[in-house]
Amino acid sequence: MLDQMANEIKLIAGSSHPELSALVASRLGIDIANTMSLNYSNRETSVSIGESVRDEDVFILQSTAPGDVNDGLMELLIMIHACRTASARRITAVIPNFPYARQDKKDKSRAPISAKLIANMLQVSGCNHVITMDLHASQIQGFFNVPVDNLYAEPSVLRWIRENLSVDNCVIVSPDAGGAKRATSIADRLNTAFALIHKERPRPNVVGRMVLVGDVQDKVAILVDDMADTCGTLAKAAETVRQNGAREVYAIVTHGILSGKAIETINASCLAGLVVTNTVPLGDKAERCPKLKIIDVAGTVAEVRPHKKIPTVQSLIIQQAIRRTHNGESVSYLFNNVPV
Amino acid sequence: MVRNIVILGGNSHPQLTESICNILCIPPSNRILSKFSGGESRCEIKDSVRGKDVYIIQSGSGNVNDNLIDLCIMISACKTGSAKRVTAVVPLFPYSRQPDWPYTKSGAPLTQSSGSTKKDYTFESVPATPRPGAPRSAGLTNGVNGLAEKLTKTSLANDGTNGATTNGNTNGNGGDHFPTPRRSDTISSNSSATRGHHAEGSTSSQRSYTTHDYENPHNVNAFQSKPGYKQWVAQAGTLVADLLTCAGADHIITMDLHDPQYQGFFDIPVDNLYGKALIQNYIQTSLPKYQDAVIVSPDAGGAKRATLIADSLNMDFALIHKERRPTRFTEQRNASMMLVGDVANRVCILVDDIVDTANTITRAAKLLKKEGATKVYALLTHGVFSGDAIARINASSIDKILVTNSVPQSEHRRQCPKLEVIDISPVFAEAIRRVHHGESISVLFQHN
Repeated sequence: MLDQMANEIKLIAGSSHPELSALVASRLGIDIANTMSLNYSNRETSVSIGESVRDEDVFILQSTAPGDVNDGLMELLIMIHACRTASARRITAVIPNFPYARQDKKDKSRAPISAKLIANMLQVSGCNHVITMDLHASQIQGFFNVPVDNLYAEPSVLRWIRENLSVDNCVIVSPDAGGAKRATSIADRLNTAFALIHKERPRPNVVGRMVLVGDVQDKVAILVDDMADTCGTLAKAAETVRQNGAREVYAIVTHGILSGKAIETINASCLAGLVVTNTVPLGDKAERCPKLKIIDVAGTVAEVRPHKKIPTVQSLIIQQAIRRTHNGESVSYLFNNVPV
Repeated sequence: MVRNIVILGGNSHPQLTESICNILCIPPSNRILSKFSGGESRCEIKDSVRGKDVYIIQSGSGNVNDNLIDLCIMISACKTGSAKRVTAVVPLFPYSRQPDWPYTKSGAPLTQSSGSTKKDYTFESVPATPRPGAPRSAGLTNGVNGLAEKLTKTSLANDGTNGATTNGNTNGNGGDHFPTPRRSDTISSNSSATRGHHAEGSTSSQRSYTTHDYENPHNVNAFQSKPGYKQWVAQAGTLVADLLTCAGADHIITMDLHDPQYQGFFDIPVDNLYGKALIQNYIQTSLPKYQDAVIVSPDAGGAKRATLIADSLNMDFALIHKERRPTRFTEQRNASMMLVGDVANRVCILVDDIVDTANTITRAAKLLKKEGATKVYALLTHGVFSGDAIARINASSIDKILVTNSVPQSEHRRQCPKLEVIDISPVFAEAIRRVHHGESISVLFQHN
């Protein structure tokens, strides 16, 4: 009797992305645990936990809402710490879009390696496991001393391409050299051609000159990247590809941060469509940008439900990851397959 | 001129950084500290810190979370830049004061119904502890009520479109899009309507509020602890200590920690300076016939701080006992304050470490005036003045309020003619100089 009672999944939703949490919870067939977090008038964050997490398997889902990154991060850390001090058996931070992932190296003198700092902070606050998706650099996994599951949106992306575009006529384009590996992997799986854009970036959030390497003449070009922030790169890359004779240009990115003037940039660009996953809260951006299309990854993250409940709902990446982690099953299946 | 030292300032308090640097006769180090357009902090340190003794000045004011993360990033940048030692100088320590949560006997939070906040502005209308359910700007703008109406309108207007878009993209899961919850007067009446993820799902239509906003009644009302479980508020204290240590801080210099025990959360040395000397000095130099005045502590927690000052200046002492748990829910909260000591026909000096919403001290001042005090002064170390603290103080019977500039005060000063500010930069500059040279700083703890 006790065995059945103990060690259930507790899904705690950070306030940054309630929609994704709700989707994951419904995929898992559980309710989100009762918590409340708010900012006091002196702007400190306060978290209250409304139910027992003692000896439970706790998953805390927190994305990074653009403009609200540090608040979300502190909230996550406080939540982890709260569960740790409340004797949770295991705490898994589910961070679909890892914050500060771009600050992962000392590219200038005395530049902070903020991603490493965040990794340390998560561990110090008491996190036992991290689930994330499409890390900007997969080496970030090495910043942790706890297991990190880096999920891929690639299977969902492949499925979207197969369902919405004619694969034969496509060419996969990487908008920068750093993303070449990600793009070639997709090109290989689809068995299509591949091109690459070389770009110079003088300052952050600013894009310089671009050169296209490869042939896109009369093809449907698909730009593939891990994140789209201000979309300056994407718009410019789309233009470069278009000038080189592509018939139509799509962009598929995992994390649609879309900060600043991104929506205006996209609307004004020659992109036929921008496909993002729902790892980052998009708010009303879909309404403001008719070109924006959203892939749901909630299923992938959630895949960790206990066996006994499987028959109720079956589904996708985030949900699958949670279910598989909870049951101690292999997660690598998700790297190549879209859970149904 | 102090050698081999680097002073870095955060964004929270540039004036303090500047005056500390002036006193130490060195320029503040060159750094970029801004934000990327996505909201992530960007930090670059322009000058070399290799082998240097680095002091980073950042106060826990303004946007606390941003400032804290900025501080951690700066510390870590200096550490990876081979700094010999990194000291965080944090005049006001963030998260050092976690509010207690008032409970009823049955374990439910003592949240007043929103109906009772409708009355006009009085400074005793809101309980002292910041807590959910209480509007930040109590009666002044009619707080939550007006807000809730606006919320209802926006979410109703957005309802159709929003439901449709989620529907298309989420395999029909957006279909359980939740109708706008009724804004009810009590938390308990809402429990059946808003549960679990449904309540979360509909926050998408309220983009004008931050996702975790104190004033967002939605967040608060959706929350219900499981029956039989006494919900609790997470204490972030140790966490912040751990975060700073893991970022690489070797030493902390701070002032008047709310709980002295906080020092024990750190495994690294923490120098807790006292604002007491400054306050004492002010009493001695600026108040005529200060021996006749009474030092008053506005709550029991500050009694020790206040008695220390009273003892060393040979003054009388009084204490206000604050009962935070009224026996009956409807009871006037003001009735639960009791004065211990005699203040009739005397000047009162309220002493405390921090003024945040200014609720405690304004209520204390009112009580003191009622008990016959001729004048009420308030002397505090940290003046956070959040919410409508300034308005509350202006409307209160406090004659003069004195704080240090551990957080930026120029804006507050403009709005509040009663406010006076003591400069703490000499204390911190001296502490930095002494720590750098390895001299004892215990002399700073004393006062003559």
